[in-house]
Amino acid sequence: MEPPAPPPPPERPAHEDTRGFVRRYIFSTDHKIIGIQYIITGLLMALVGATLATLIRLQLGWPDHAWPLLEKLLPGGYQGGVMLPEFYLAVVTMHGTIMVFFFISYVLVSGFGNYLVPLQVGATDMAFPFLNMLSYWIAFLSAAVLIFSFFVAGGAAAAGWTAYPPLSAIAAAVPGSQMGQSLWLLSMALFIASFTMSGLNIVATVLSVRAPGLSMMRLPLTVWSYFIASILGLLAFPPLTAAAVMLLFDRHLGTSFFLPSGLVVANKVLTNTGGSPLLWQHLFWFLGHPEVYVLILPALGIACDIIPAFTRKPVYGYRMSVYCLWAVGALSMIVWGHHMFVSGMSPFTGEYFSLVTLTITVPMTIFGVNMLASLWGAKLELRSPMLFVCGVIALFGSGGLGGLFLGNATADMQLHDTYFVVGHFHMMIGGVTLLATFAAIYFWFPKMFGRTMNETLGKAHFWLTFAPFFTIFFMQHFLGIQGAPRRYYAFTAYDYLQKTRGQNLVISLSAFLLVSSQFIFIVNFVWSLVRGRVAEANPWRATTLEWTVPSPPPHGNFETVPTVERWAYEYGVRAPGGDFATQDVPAAAVPVTA
Amino acid sequence: MNADTAAVDAVAVREDQLKLGLWMFLATVTMLFAAFTSAYIVRRSGSDWRHVALPSILWLNSLVLAASSVAVEIANVRGTRTAWRSSAAAMVMAFALGIVFLAGQVVAWRQMVSAGVYLPTSPHSSFFFMLTGAHAVHVIAALAVLGWGAVATLSGARDPRAWTSRMSLCRTFWHYLGGVWLFLFALVSLY
Repeated sequence: MEPPAPPPPPERPAHEDTRGFVRRYIFSTDHKIIGIQYIITGLLMALVGATLATLIRLQLGWPDHAWPLLEKLLPGGYQGGVMLPEFYLAVVTMHGTIMVFFFISYVLVSGFGNYLVPLQVGATDMAFPFLNMLSYWIAFLSAAVLIFSFFVAGGAAAAGWTAYPPLSAIAAAVPGSQMGQSLWLLSMALFIASFTMSGLNIVATVLSVRAPGLSMMRLPLTVWSYFIASILGLLAFPPLTAAAVMLLFDRHLGTSFFLPSGLVVANKVLTNTGGSPLLWQHLFWFLGHPEVYVLILPALGIACDIIPAFTRKPVYGYRMSVYCLWAVGALSMIVWGHHMFVSGMSPFTGEYFSLVTLTITVPMTIFGVNMLASLWGAKLELRSPMLFVCGVIALFGSGGLGGLFLGNATADMQLHDTYFVVGHFHMMIGGVTLLATFAAIYFWFPKMFGRTMNETLGKAHFWLTFAPFFTIFFMQHFLGIQGAPRRYYAFTAYDYLQKTRGQNLVISLSAFLLVSSQFIFIVNFVWSLVRGRVAEANPWRATTLEWTVPSPPPHGNFETVPTVERWAYEYGVRAPGGDFATQDVPAAAVPVTA
Repeated sequence: MNADTAAVDAVAVREDQLKLGLWMFLATVTMLFAAFTSAYIVRRSGSDWRHVALPSILWLNSLVLAASSVAVEIANVRGTRTAWRSSAAAMVMAFALGIVFLAGQVVAWRQMVSAGVYLPTSPHSSFFFMLTGAHAVHVIAALAVLGWGAVATLSGARDPRAWTSRMSLCRTFWHYLGGVWLFLFALVSLY
């Protein structure tokens, strides 16, 4: 008798990833893996940034207190248990740099941008997958260089996240202006190179590999926001590269681009002549202000895509929101001078920058009203992502109000370099983006990892994040109105600031609560990765294309290229699967509303 | 849709992507040089601005770069007429002229240094060295792209459509950098 034939080998799914571990998870060209790599790197950098914030708040909350334990841990930064002023400057500088460029940019922009854009446009991957991998590893190198700068002679850069010369240009100015500042510049150059590659990829992906039927006006607002933010990045970031090159030349090769004549540092007259420190400010803010929108537009786009899943109705004013994103993007390129009202600019120039800055509030307000109108009349389902989106809207409104004062040259003269500015930008590019990042993580976690995050812990995380965050930065507006200057290490040396001790104490306690509550998130994240409830393909009953594929999506994303039949917000309709239709549901099955 | 049509469509999409990517890259390079230019204009108003004499070899270098651009165009025209040998020869010539241009720029730097003009001598000399250096870095990158086009041409352009696409990228990048050089040369010479 013949032996029975061996069973046929199991068929491989069409998109099974057959690459080895290293190509699959480390040097991967899959946009999803790269997105997750960015997110993990950014979250680790956030831990560093949050630790630095804790050190800042310890100093400001208890300015006269000695911390012997911290001296043991950070012997270079403390003396007699008291923080050294130059160390304080380095801590403030690195906190700002890390949070703006290495946390929010990595997680919200590059991380979620990478993960979501190809999926939401129905593509198998980014337009340039290899370039995408390269951009992540350059970004990783950039972060590594910045972290390494903590350990070089003189310590990390200490000239502020804006790196204004002469402080940043002269090694003898402050210890952090030695090797630390050069590494800071190198790190920024790498960051810009990486971000440019990433932005180029996103624009090319949106323009060239959209699924059939997915016209531009059917794109989800998330994709629109990444598209416009990427264009902004491509156009606004190169000038900082130019500025960084010139600053490196000033620092190491004896040029005088930014160093003026007659500068005396450490009792020595420098030989530099005729340079202009203001030139750096112009070049920096030409990047710096659009950078704000590079961060905040994706936050708003993400909020708009999460809202309808929990209101079960379409977003309000989709077309107008798209036009507003364009208007904000265009205007953001011509408003940089409002960061320099006190630099001695001509009043006419100041008037111009005031006008265009206040003009930007028009599209921003329309966008904000559209978000509010999207909530109007809905029965809100306050799950974790939606709670964070509500926080986004709250901070966008209240933080944006402060912008009206700072955009006005007359008011800004009084408020410039005070805690009013710190409160304002933390609410906007700190808070709006932070809460949107968390909203995105809670919302797309099931898609990324195939498991759902714990809802109770998510809600606790929201309230213990939002309440202290709002307390801290709302109060800082009032510190600013009282004239408290930012970046001052020993504010108690000034009599008029003695009365702010109590406020600083409350702010510090709130900051510790804020940082501590992030452990709830970490526990939830890790626990859910391992033990979270297994997620179905579309747990939120949402409409965009990523929800039409399994969770997590396979390599190559789609078994067959989807054909898009409708816009991204087909909610409140009668459909076989419920009150929604994903973008690929045929028009014959469910009528198309837009 | 049959397999051949799908393959042709995929190639067309790839070509579009590469063109788009190149133009976006050129937009960022434009912004980089725009920033350098605005810095030049601002810094020029400083009281210590002193114009330094520029070496005359820069004129020759400009001609070499222009000749290189012409050679790329000849290569393109000859290739379109399937005259692959002359097309390949023109591409090699274009590449070689690109190298000669870079060598000429180095000679210009050495002549400046021999004349006692260094990077920090004057803001004008600082900008000269920095702008020519930044341009040279981009020329090196463009030479790599030109080499990529030359290899395709030397191999007899087995795939004419892919060759046309490559040549389009080479021509755009190379002529763009020629234009940037002319602008920079005019800036540092005349203003």
